[in-house]
Amino acid sequence: MSLNVDRASMAFSFKGGMLPMTVMELTSADPERIREQLAGKLSQSPAFFQHTPVVLSVEKLDEPHLALERICAVCRAHKLLPVAVRGGTDPVKQSAWALGLGWFPPQEIKPRNLESVAEAAPEAPIDDADTSAGAASGGRIYRGTVRSGQQISAPDGDLVVIGAVNAGAEVLAAGSVHVYGALRGRALAGIHGDHEAGIFCRELRAELLSVAGNYKRLEDIDPRLLGHSVQVQLSDDQLSIAPLA
Amino acid sequence: MAKIIVVTSGKGGVGKTTSAAAIATGLALRGKKTVVIDFDVGLRNLDLIMGCERRVVYDLVNVIQGEAGLNQALIRDKRVDNLHILPASQTRDKDALTSDGVEKILDTLTKDFDYIICDSPAGIERGAQLAMYFADAAVVVTNPEVSSVRDSDRILGLLASKTRRAERNQDAVKEHLLITRYNPSRVDDGDMLNLDDIQEILAIDLLGLIPESEAVLRASNQGIPVTHDAKSDAGQAYTDTVSRLLGEDVPLRFHEFQKKGLLSRMFGGGRR
Repeated sequence: MSLNVDRASMAFSFKGGMLPMTVMELTSADPERIREQLAGKLSQSPAFFQHTPVVLSVEKLDEPHLALERICAVCRAHKLLPVAVRGGTDPVKQSAWALGLGWFPPQEIKPRNLESVAEAAPEAPIDDADTSAGAASGGRIYRGTVRSGQQISAPDGDLVVIGAVNAGAEVLAAGSVHVYGALRGRALAGIHGDHEAGIFCRELRAELLSVAGNYKRLEDIDPRLLGHSVQVQLSDDQLSIAPLA
Repeated sequence: MAKIIVVTSGKGGVGKTTSAAAIATGLALRGKKTVVIDFDVGLRNLDLIMGCERRVVYDLVNVIQGEAGLNQALIRDKRVDNLHILPASQTRDKDALTSDGVEKILDTLTKDFDYIICDSPAGIERGAQLAMYFADAAVVVTNPEVSSVRDSDRILGLLASKTRRAERNQDAVKEHLLITRYNPSRVDDGDMLNLDDIQEILAIDLLGLIPESEAVLRASNQGIPVTHDAKSDAGQAYTDTVSRLLGEDVPLRFHEFQKKGLLSRMFGGGRR
């Protein structure tokens, strides 16, 4: 018997994937309270609620039984698609399965040191990228000048640079990029697709600004903004650059 | 134990070799036993600037490959007692340099000298990386123009990561900025970057500022390091630079445009 399976005859193949995923960390089990907060969020950033898949994390809840069905209905009513539940008791797990949702074991809690990202190995895809809150954990603080040819990245969270980013240098973050100095190089925020990420700097001279793949070159930037403290964010898939008051 | 200082820049033609020769000469004139090594294998220039090109027998590559002893290759300077030159090979290329070979030479020299000045080739490839790898301090030579500043910035990044001190987590290589070919009147006209802009971008201590000067070209062509030309502005500026390298506090000169007075305009005076 041959182990070689004819590829053309296969209906599918399994592939490992790392997808950005929003985790909805529940701190209340009351569907009404969840509804109120979602309604508020929806009016603030409607672009976020586009049948966005979410994982409901119930780790912070201390309730053996959850009105999971009602919570899911509230989410769907606000164009969030619950795809799985993380944590919780055995009955929670059973009801998740009954509702056709996946179940993930609770997240291991590791103390994180903001200053050291060196050992921050890529984690399970669902853990980070808390897009609704903007800033994820696993950020990084870099002190000093980022020089031409250097690349500093925070693949799991925000990047804070205390110093300048010089021309020819590149700073990247899964979350937002903050530069407490002149930004003369390239800055890319939301590299895993976080639309809520932003770029903040004390002196805008950037060669390139990008948030979640939407970019502007130096040439496209309004010259009146150059040299100023600015914030860069996405609104309607367009980069908007505004002075920091 | 000698202090190893690399003179580097990234960009070519900014005055690395001139500065390495001038600083080495200045240190020797101050009584420090100094050797200056040309790392620009294949494009040997230091011997010309030092005026010893007719006395080269063996070179750095010969020593590394065991074809000559270090003492055979070292050339004693004619003008200053404490100064030696280790020339580069003109016929080989930079692949002939090995890290072990360079380390062995530096280890030997460090016992006999106070200062080892490494004249780096341009670029960021093997030759330049070997020149900086063992350094305790770096003199980053920069011209007042954007491309030179950017290349210096790149070199500063390498100094912070691709050196023995960085790899061993020792104290960082001490970085010094040396601005050369500075012309205050062209800075005032906006043709050149000014001192403050360069310092703001590179964010390291200023070791010295050498004005654009006819004395430099003259010195190169005569093979006499410009430090010997004590009457010239560039010679004085290098002397100041060496004093600062030795830890002295010397005020900055030649960075402001001096309008010529009536008399000097009439009689054609001025700094030369």
